[in-house]
Amino acid sequence: MRRLTKLSAVTAVAALALAGCGGSSGGSDGGSGNKPSASKDICKTAKGSGPKIGLAYDVGGRGDQSFNDSAYAGLAKAVKAFKATCVEGEATDGEAESAREDRLRQMADGGATAVVGVGFAYSDAVNAVAPDYPKVNFAIVDGFDPDTKANANVAYLTFAANEGSYLVGVAAAEKSKSGQIGFVGGVHNDLIKGFEAGYTAGAKAAKPSIKVDVAYIQESDLKGFADPAGGKAAATGEFDKGADVVYAAAGASGSGAFDAAVAAGAGKWAIGVDSDQYLTATAAQKPHILTSALKRVDTATYDFIKSVNDGKPATSYTTYNLKNDGVGYSTSGGFVDDIKSDIDGYKAKIISGDITVPTKP
Amino acid sequence: MKGLNLRSIGLSLLAPVIAIVVSVLVTSLVIAAVGSSPGDFWSAMFSNPLPRLRVNIVNQTAIIYIAAVAAAIGFRMNLFNIGLEGQYTLASYAAAAFAGGAYLSGFANVLVSILIAIAVGAAWAGIAGVLKTTRGVSEVISTIMLNSIAIFLVGYLLNRYGVHEGNSVHTTRLADGSTLTGFTPYLPRDGQIWALSVLAVIVGIGFWVLLNKTHFGFDLRASGMSSTAAVASGINPNRMIITAMMLSGGVAGLIWLPALFGGATSYGTSFQSGLGFLGISVALLGRNRPLGMLFGAVLFAFLNSQSNTLTFSTDISPSIVQITEGVAVLAVVVAFEVVRRWRARLEQRVVGREHAVATEVTA
Amino acid sequence: MTQGTDAVELRGIGKSFPGVIANHDVDLTIRPGTVHALIGENGAGKSTLMKILYGVQRPDEGTIRINGEDVVLKSPTDAIEHGIGMVFQHFMLADNLTVLENLVLGAEKLHGIGDDARAEISRISDRFGFGLKPDELVEKLGVADRQRLEIAKVLYRGAKIIILDEPTAVLVPQEVDSLFANLRELRDAGNSILFISHKLDEVLAIADDITVMRRGTTVGSADPKTATKRQLAELMVGSELPSPETGESTVTDTVELTLSDVTLTDEFGRNLLSDISLSIRRGEVLGIAGVEGNGQSELVEMIMGMRIPSSGHITLGSEDVTHWHTRRLREAGIGYIPEDRQRHGLLLDAPLWENRMLGHQTEAPNAKGPWINRAGARKDTQRIMTEYDVRAPSIDTPSRALSGGNQQKLIVGREMSGDPSLLIASHPTRGVDVGAQAAIWDQIKKARRAGLAVLLVSADLDELIGLSDTIQVILRGRFVGTFEPSSVTPQDLGAAMTGGEAA
Repeated sequence: MRRLTKLSAVTAVAALALAGCGGSSGGSDGGSGNKPSASKDICKTAKGSGPKIGLAYDVGGRGDQSFNDSAYAGLAKAVKAFKATCVEGEATDGEAESAREDRLRQMADGGATAVVGVGFAYSDAVNAVAPDYPKVNFAIVDGFDPDTKANANVAYLTFAANEGSYLVGVAAAEKSKSGQIGFVGGVHNDLIKGFEAGYTAGAKAAKPSIKVDVAYIQESDLKGFADPAGGKAAATGEFDKGADVVYAAAGASGSGAFDAAVAAGAGKWAIGVDSDQYLTATAAQKPHILTSALKRVDTATYDFIKSVNDGKPATSYTTYNLKNDGVGYSTSGGFVDDIKSDIDGYKAKIISGDITVPTKP
Repeated sequence: MKGLNLRSIGLSLLAPVIAIVVSVLVTSLVIAAVGSSPGDFWSAMFSNPLPRLRVNIVNQTAIIYIAAVAAAIGFRMNLFNIGLEGQYTLASYAAAAFAGGAYLSGFANVLVSILIAIAVGAAWAGIAGVLKTTRGVSEVISTIMLNSIAIFLVGYLLNRYGVHEGNSVHTTRLADGSTLTGFTPYLPRDGQIWALSVLAVIVGIGFWVLLNKTHFGFDLRASGMSSTAAVASGINPNRMIITAMMLSGGVAGLIWLPALFGGATSYGTSFQSGLGFLGISVALLGRNRPLGMLFGAVLFAFLNSQSNTLTFSTDISPSIVQITEGVAVLAVVVAFEVVRRWRARLEQRVVGREHAVATEVTA
Repeated sequence: MTQGTDAVELRGIGKSFPGVIANHDVDLTIRPGTVHALIGENGAGKSTLMKILYGVQRPDEGTIRINGEDVVLKSPTDAIEHGIGMVFQHFMLADNLTVLENLVLGAEKLHGIGDDARAEISRISDRFGFGLKPDELVEKLGVADRQRLEIAKVLYRGAKIIILDEPTAVLVPQEVDSLFANLRELRDAGNSILFISHKLDEVLAIADDITVMRRGTTVGSADPKTATKRQLAELMVGSELPSPETGESTVTDTVELTLSDVTLTDEFGRNLLSDISLSIRRGEVLGIAGVEGNGQSELVEMIMGMRIPSSGHITLGSEDVTHWHTRRLREAGIGYIPEDRQRHGLLLDAPLWENRMLGHQTEAPNAKGPWINRAGARKDTQRIMTEYDVRAPSIDTPSRALSGGNQQKLIVGREMSGDPSLLIASHPTRGVDVGAQAAIWDQIKKARRAGLAVLLVSADLDELIGLSDTIQVILRGRFVGTFEPSSVTPQDLGAAMTGGEAA
């Protein structure tokens, strides 16, 4: 009997572990009915004569209302503009490195001439695949070249996300009544630490006495970007400790932080990330989304595809920052209209070089 | 007597057949329910894989199989090591950090790194063993907690001591002399079968030999079949728990090493997580038998590797693959339990009949 | 005396499990408004019988009649519907709930969970003097109160026939008295009680009728007004079976096993065995007699190294083995026939040849160094099956499929292999058929002639008298008397086992 009970417990754990992968990406659309359904997917309907584009999403995939969706927006714009066709693929949590490579190869084999890996986790895979497909142009959002051999057909699209985060940090500090604000990062890696650094610097600049609570969902596991429950727990903890504005730089986990703001009640704010999350939030979440730190993955994606289409494919590193509107903040909802001039003041100083935003906390 | 043998073979095939039928049925129903074509799914999944996918399937089979054996060592004595995930994460990190440090060169570096992985995995699992024998803490609970601790610990160590590069962080990459050239069955671009995939063969044969050819293996199986009879036969239960736990963890330590020395060259974004849980599933699927688990590992590796193909050739979400895998495991466990009970009742009736005959004769 | 129909009437009940015939030809009649005691040694089939009556198990044959009506009890729910309730030895209560909550749990439909339920509980409690407080937390209750709560639970569910499984095992004497007072109240209110026990004093004190079980069947009944403990003990252990005859003494002068002043304590520091001293010489059979639960199992487990004594010394041959563990002792030449063969002696799902290895997996012919010698073990299993007449289709048959007698013959054959110098045999013939019993006795006698020292624990006094060279009686963890089998009678032994008084 005891054996059976234990066995069923283990079976349940195993089944949960398997289902967990599907569950986490499913959870990201729990907050909203806005996830584009399969029929709305532009790649299913595009039949143009232009280039064929491959887009490989990171964990979380399309429907995360953040990073991956932003890339999709750029793709959709490019498909319309260049009469292009496209294929998509999505990473699953815990997949093998070879699966990422295979995804890119299937796209290239399928005739794609521009292949975009969304997320730095594609860096190694692109580096391995690109030399085998000299006629295909690759780009990696947030990517980097892991070895010393430069790839002639790879573009690395990087963002000064610390600059956008600086501006929302200013907004958070000026809107905070309690003098305490929070930060929730998806994974404690260098990329997200840049967000944290900018946010904290901006907040301190606007209000030197401000206290910033920092929490990360995962230490190194990428599932921190696809874990709304973890995001909610982390944000709730910060609201409970007295913060009244929480910035969630956590991909699809961010919707959990929005829910936490809703649960914390009126006067509690959440700040979105990557895309303008006010636009995709639920009706209940909208009154709590102060602003979003924009990381124009859509712009970068579109620009790269355009360069390929123009026959002058981008290679090597391109940095998107405040200066070229590659990062920024959103004003949807109108909650920051009263402090917009302050924020824009800091923005001008960053662009002019008067303020240097730190990249490490 | 012949009839009995035939029937017992039939009975032992009954459970897997039921399980396969049920999981095919459930998967097809799910696909049909979301409005896609089950036919497309099965033809995409069981299409002949591309050469590079065949290579991937072999590689994935190897590491999944090692994970399954690690789980099975515990399961065979009713010891549920749910902590494979933490054990192999920590062990992989330790081995990668050591190997990247290049304290030794060439093959010696590989060998010592393997030993370090085994030692770290065994030690981490041993914590749960000691907690169980000295404090009575269920290994299910302690290993789940140790998983979280291990994953956070590795994240911390990596952030603190790793090489930060671009937006990612990893351990120092292996020197060229420390990677192992595998076997290239097709074109170079289709990839190599990792040299250390041979570990799976060694682990599988070792597991079989240990279970069936050594008295330690007998002790292990006896403890699993009846803990009371095991104690009466002279098996020290505490020592068995700690040994089995450490053995399971030691094997778990090997899980990711083929990938590390075969191409990943460092512990970082290319680390494949989730293999510990996958191993548990495959051990359940393969009933902890060396050959059964091989079948399970091939199946899972095949399904996982084909899921990209699924995305590109149909409109079915690759998540369906995970549903198939989960249903297969549940179906196997349930089917075997149902058949076992049914069989026990059958045996009981046979004994009852024999007894009735015997009393008639004596009366 | 008989007013109308009997409360319970069992006729010809039989039940077998793989390898065991738990009940056969059981007849039992409980008159309404009486306390009926069912007595017998452990393993006599009492618990199977009450599980059948409570619908937990279904009999293979026989009829159950409740209040004159033939019934089929498929589950405890059926039994409760027919007014049968059971109080298990291990209480089934939720500690963190109140008395009221425990009572209504699972029976919410009867009187709801509110005031009606409360009123019903008070009525039951007052009527029988249970003194239950509905809002008290169960974790605060003592053992006796918990037991009363369990009884109240079955009454609350409308039981008129109450089965109590060894209810006094957990109680101290004063609590036993008050339990009996409650039981008399219940009886006088017209309830029928089936009281299961092997404590003869208590049975004589409370019962209106007594039925005795032995070897899976009912062997007789007694009237508590006239019966003596001695008569009951005789019925329980039996004396009509073919008696084993040892023949002339083969006792040598070489002492094989010595226990000197050995004391064993449990985890709370209570003595399980106190100052036990014994010695067994080669060619000698030392019999241990005692009512079940007086320290026999602990004595055997201690000699086998599964429990380590807290003081005293155990010597095997010339070595001090006080702190040796089981495997080392077995390797040193102790054979062990455990009292519960299915739990301690066999791997039920493993084939016979692997069962041949169990307990000897490090010794020839089963092992060579760390390796298993499969061929050797299989060949030797074949030998055991021939020499000990183990009837099974093949050495690959799982041991579960064998009858009890054949399972036991396999164990005896296994433990006699490899020339042991000492055999610890706990109830070696319990639950086996007459033929297997005679075969096992023959084997023990043969080994004794060859110089084997044997410690024989048995509940079967004829077996003890017939096989032993000396008999020690154990009571509450102490040796209380030494007897010569040639001159002792089962009556004398019975008296010593129950506390020395000659009734």
